[in-house]
Amino acid sequence: MYKRTILITSLILAFTGTAAAFDIDWQKALKVGGEALQKVQTANKQLDEPQEIELGHGIAANLLGTSPLLDNKRVQIYVNDVGRWLSLHTERPNLPWQFGVLDTTDLNAFATPGGTIFVTKGLLMNLSNESELAGVLAHEMVHVLSKHHLAALQKSARMDLATDLASEALKDKAGPILDKAVKAGTEVYARGLDKSDEFEADRKGIIIATRAGYDPYGLPAVLQMLDAANAQDSSLALMFKTHPAPRARLNLLDKIMADNFDNYSAPVQTDKRFLAALAQVK
Amino acid sequence: MKQCFLILMMLGLPLSVAAVEQTAFTIRSTEIKKQPYSDAQTLATLAEKSSVKIVLRKGGWVSISSTQGSGWVKMLNLRSNSASEERGDNGLRSLFNMGRSGSSGITVATGVRGLSEEDLKTASPNPNELAKMKNYAVSQTQAEKFARSGKLSSQTLEYIPVQ
Repeated sequence: MYKRTILITSLILAFTGTAAAFDIDWQKALKVGGEALQKVQTANKQLDEPQEIELGHGIAANLLGTSPLLDNKRVQIYVNDVGRWLSLHTERPNLPWQFGVLDTTDLNAFATPGGTIFVTKGLLMNLSNESELAGVLAHEMVHVLSKHHLAALQKSARMDLATDLASEALKDKAGPILDKAVKAGTEVYARGLDKSDEFEADRKGIIIATRAGYDPYGLPAVLQMLDAANAQDSSLALMFKTHPAPRARLNLLDKIMADNFDNYSAPVQTDKRFLAALAQVK
Repeated sequence: MKQCFLILMMLGLPLSVAAVEQTAFTIRSTEIKKQPYSDAQTLATLAEKSSVKIVLRKGGWVSISSTQGSGWVKMLNLRSNSASEERGDNGLRSLFNMGRSGSSGITVATGVRGLSEEDLKTASPNPNELAKMKNYAVSQTQAEKFARSGKLSSQTLEYIPVQ
């Protein structure tokens, strides 16, 4: 990506060198070249992995400030087992992946940078099997893999903050800039990500779940459940506000899955243990 | 809950499957299959926008009954037509929610509050809960053991490129 930007910049600069001969607007050409250079500089200031993880932990602590964890060790470890197994089928298997069930009636799931994933008790209680849980977790994990929240943070009005963030300042740990970034980062969850990021998470999420041996139709089944649910219900308000309509997401998966996923299914053992674990959730 | 589990076991039904009766419509011409497989015998063909009653779901397939007969159709050929029926928090209708209880509608958790946009904007950190969460995390070895006990086996497939 950066390489390509650098290449483009070089091309633009090379072009401006010959521009005079063709009587082209020098100033305009230089401006374009300058902007491209600036992009290269900004891109070079992206967060490294430890910074990404630290920012994510800060945001996760905030999310836990809105809803604590469900107080049930067995259920929490069960969700971690499913999630950690999924993570081994991604391009970032060595992140410090951790999963938590939030004790709230809302139906939702969240991912924070660096590998912290939440699913709410309200959503968990409305799932039917382990493949559906895997589908939900895998969708969230794609947001981490593709750094969607970092991109949203950088794209927001707080571009200056993103640049500060990426500077040396973050190395101090828990400094004022990190605090600001965590606050701005948490607000991203109230606004939601780009629709295209959500579609990407669906598209890749079904693949990760299938790689891990689950029924590819786990996530589509959850979307069917949400599509049929009453959109006016308050427990769905935040999720519906921050995601594309379930029907649009179903239509996309319908198109890309076609008949290509008919030969995969989940072992019946996963259904049994899902029911056993969920029997603990009140 | 336990009772439901036992009954399903006794019936020899896959545990992911529970009975409901709700309606949906086809979004394209759809074959009704004798079994939930693409190469199973075709019993009839439903035209686009046919109404069907949902009986149960199994993976990517849904068992239906219709004026054209009963059998299995592909889940993604169906869409709910009950989405806008109700208003407010009064027991949501949910066509595909074949939750563990077997009853229709969203299961409503009790005793705790929701999570709103406002909550997120005014959130203050809870480091104790974060520390607790770290303790619940599992190792790669533990995850592999969990997969083996569930008979899950890894599959090789690539992400689908954007079309």
